[in-house]
Amino acid sequence: MPISPVNGRRQPNVGVNVGLGPRKSISFVGPGKGALMKGGYAGANQSRMAMSKNMMILPEAKQMEKMTISSAKTVTQVTDIHGVDVTPKPLYRPDPYSGTGKPNKLLTSQDGSHTSDFIASYSLYQNTINPSMLGQFTRSVLGSSTVSKSSVSTSESMAEDLEEPSFKRERLSSFTDLRVMRTAPGKIITKEDLEKTVEIILTETETMNFLNLPTVMFSVESEEAEKVSQRNKNYETLCRNRLGNDLYVERMMQTINGAPKNKDVQCDKILKEDKGIMSTAWDLYDSYNAMELSSLPPKRSMIDSSSKANVPSKDWEQTVAGSNLEKISEGSSLMDIENVILAKVHDEEEDNSDAVFKSDKFQQDLFFMERVIMENIFQPKLAAYRQLPILKEPEPEEPGDFLVDGKLEVVEEEAKKEEEEDLEISSEQSTIPANLERLWSFSCDLTKGLNVSSLAWNKANPDLLAVGYGHFGFKEQKRGLACCWSIKNPMWPERTYQSPYGVTAVDFSIGSPNLLAVGYHNGTIAIYNVQNNSNLPVLDSSESPQKHLGPVWQLQWIEQDRGTTGDDKREILVSISADGRISKWVIRKGLDCHDLMRLRRTTASTSKKGGEKEKKGEALISRQAPGMCFAFHPKDTNIYLAGTEEGHIHKCSCSYNEQYLDTYRGHKGPVYKIAWNPFCHDVFLSCSADWGVIIWQHENLKPFLSFYPTTYVVYDIAWSPKSSYIFAAANESRVEIWDLHISTLDPLIVNVANPGIKFTTVLFAKQTDCLLVGDSDGQVAVYELKNMPTTLDSNRGDVIVTLLGPKSSQSIIHHQ
Amino acid sequence: MKTLVNFFPDLFQAEVEETLKRIQSHKGVIGTMVVNAEGIPIRTTLDNSTTVQYAGLLHQLTMKAKSTVRDIDPQNDLTFLRIRSKKHEIMVAPDKEYLLIVIQNPCE
Repeated sequence: MPISPVNGRRQPNVGVNVGLGPRKSISFVGPGKGALMKGGYAGANQSRMAMSKNMMILPEAKQMEKMTISSAKTVTQVTDIHGVDVTPKPLYRPDPYSGTGKPNKLLTSQDGSHTSDFIASYSLYQNTINPSMLGQFTRSVLGSSTVSKSSVSTSESMAEDLEEPSFKRERLSSFTDLRVMRTAPGKIITKEDLEKTVEIILTETETMNFLNLPTVMFSVESEEAEKVSQRNKNYETLCRNRLGNDLYVERMMQTINGAPKNKDVQCDKILKEDKGIMSTAWDLYDSYNAMELSSLPPKRSMIDSSSKANVPSKDWEQTVAGSNLEKISEGSSLMDIENVILAKVHDEEEDNSDAVFKSDKFQQDLFFMERVIMENIFQPKLAAYRQLPILKEPEPEEPGDFLVDGKLEVVEEEAKKEEEEDLEISSEQSTIPANLERLWSFSCDLTKGLNVSSLAWNKANPDLLAVGYGHFGFKEQKRGLACCWSIKNPMWPERTYQSPYGVTAVDFSIGSPNLLAVGYHNGTIAIYNVQNNSNLPVLDSSESPQKHLGPVWQLQWIEQDRGTTGDDKREILVSISADGRISKWVIRKGLDCHDLMRLRRTTASTSKKGGEKEKKGEALISRQAPGMCFAFHPKDTNIYLAGTEEGHIHKCSCSYNEQYLDTYRGHKGPVYKIAWNPFCHDVFLSCSADWGVIIWQHENLKPFLSFYPTTYVVYDIAWSPKSSYIFAAANESRVEIWDLHISTLDPLIVNVANPGIKFTTVLFAKQTDCLLVGDSDGQVAVYELKNMPTTLDSNRGDVIVTLLGPKSSQSIIHHQ
Repeated sequence: MKTLVNFFPDLFQAEVEETLKRIQSHKGVIGTMVVNAEGIPIRTTLDNSTTVQYAGLLHQLTMKAKSTVRDIDPQNDLTFLRIRSKKHEIMVAPDKEYLLIVIQNPCE
């Protein structure tokens, strides 16, 4: 059929056409609706198109200028031989209804978004019967040219097409403006339909062969074989020569690019989270270690910490109160059961806090914390004790700061300017006489009112001190206490061992420094292990049949050479008590006791004066003499001295347990303490209740030097570990430091006690210049010996003898 | 030792209480706090807000110090932390489950 170009656009009377359109479209739609699905359209359209040619196009009057290109479009109709319209259907059908919502916008805005809408709806177009069809029909009625326009394929003319829908929309919008009734879309798409599952069946299409060149095979023997092979060879050479060959030239070609299509998709917002982690050396180390561990025991505390996460936080006071109640109600149930009950019934927070309190680590931390606090409080004193220099802080109101190992770097800057000060101070101090400076005292509530009876250092830990508290006299007996104090904590003892009987002797073992032997006023000896916290002794001699019957006045652990019997040193505990026995105790399965010596009362000296006959048969009530003290020879542990209540000092040997080797007579009262000079092994010192301190020489049975400084009982004496000239003596009212090098007549330092307090024990500290003095009020005071005159040869063994002259024992010096 | 704790929980608890009381009564000690791993005070002698503040700040500092020590040598670990300031000294004993904090004024 002839195709006539469309000129309908030029028609000015748009309105008329508009008016015409809807009516016709409506009328048309009704019957044809059903038939128009997906292809029925064509027929109908076609019929229309066949009849109505090139109708006028609706109002594009406004944009006529732009339509120059589009005016060239023609409606093409194709019919086959039989007159059936086989016009290819348009690929692009705009959807007028997608733009109906905004009529003004369509008129004013450019294509951009609208065209996209059209394009977007284009895909829908095929599946829905929509009024665009109606619109098409209208157009077809009025002017098939519009249809033809839309029928142009979506190629280069897309732009025009895109323009066009806007016009159509424009038109249609005017349609909608004028329409009285709005045609409903063909089928209302309900929500159920949208949510209905749509089955899409994908099937494979047939394989489409575009090129099939099967290989042709020739037999070698056939006639054409030669030709074929020749051809093959030619081809091969051609391939090889292709590169530089003139026959083959590279050329570019341009292909037609398809029009791109943008498609936007909206999706849910993608939530992003940032996570950072710092990789540290220890983190890696821990991870590797955790992998290596075969099994991780589930800790109770871990369970607690995980379970308490859900607990609402309460006020801490309430939880503490709750936990107290818990403790009372639970009683002695096992920890696990307790925790389970707690977890179920009560607030799990207090469960965790209980766990914290009961953990060992917490106790340890508390322990350290206390020590640290002590360090802070007792800073200058401890520094003085340890003989570290005390440096003063710059601010004048602060007391002296002190140097501990870790803080050196902080104080070094001040060190230099302080050095000059120190030098000045030290030069001043040399003119000050020697004195005792009190640093601190070990005392606490437990020890108040008790009498310090013995002091002993630990052999392994120089900071650990054992103190025994007990009264001397029989009538004054109170409860007894043995405490282990540490220098690092002067306010509270590390261990306390209470007993109903007074403690009269303590000593630490040498071989096993954790064993502490305690001797009581009732004669029992108990051995404690200070490593654990238990209050019970490891061994006790109270059931032993050979236990002492009187107070154990001194205990000492001795390492004895077995000598010929082959074994190396064996340690024994030697005790002396008021029942006149010196016993050695050996720890085998229990405490085994052997008597080293029975102290018998000795008769008066056999020196007869003037032929007096010795009285025979002196009736002695008891043959035993109570022993008060003993001292083993520092070198030869077979020899020891024993002091008795009679005032005699007996030299005994471990090999003989019947007889004394020698007897030193000089004291008139009970000998309370004997001490060998640590440097000069020939000289020993003794003190007694007869107010005197006597220096003896080993070979001489008569006193070498005696001192009677006061009219008070001398309870204790000790040699200084640093000088063989210096010793300390404690009598009831004062502590005296004697330096034999300076004077044998007067003590070097005298420290008077507070009234009412008696000094009962003295002990020198080994590494430092300090002296410990125990008194009758339960205090052990630590004094620092200051400005002691130093002599170079004070450590030599023979100095005392050379000082005092040999055989000067005949002169006895009395001091009152 | 562990079984002893099981059978005599009160004993050790009493000792812990006693030690805590002693620490608090020492010269110069301003406050003692035991805080659990979440910063909730288990036992404290200061008011709650101060405790919580100390706990939070010291927890972070302890973490940092611990990290420093372990970075240098992963086999090492932080045992004690002391911060000395003009006015007083803060001593922290850290652990995985708790923080023991004592504030002391070392000078008079």
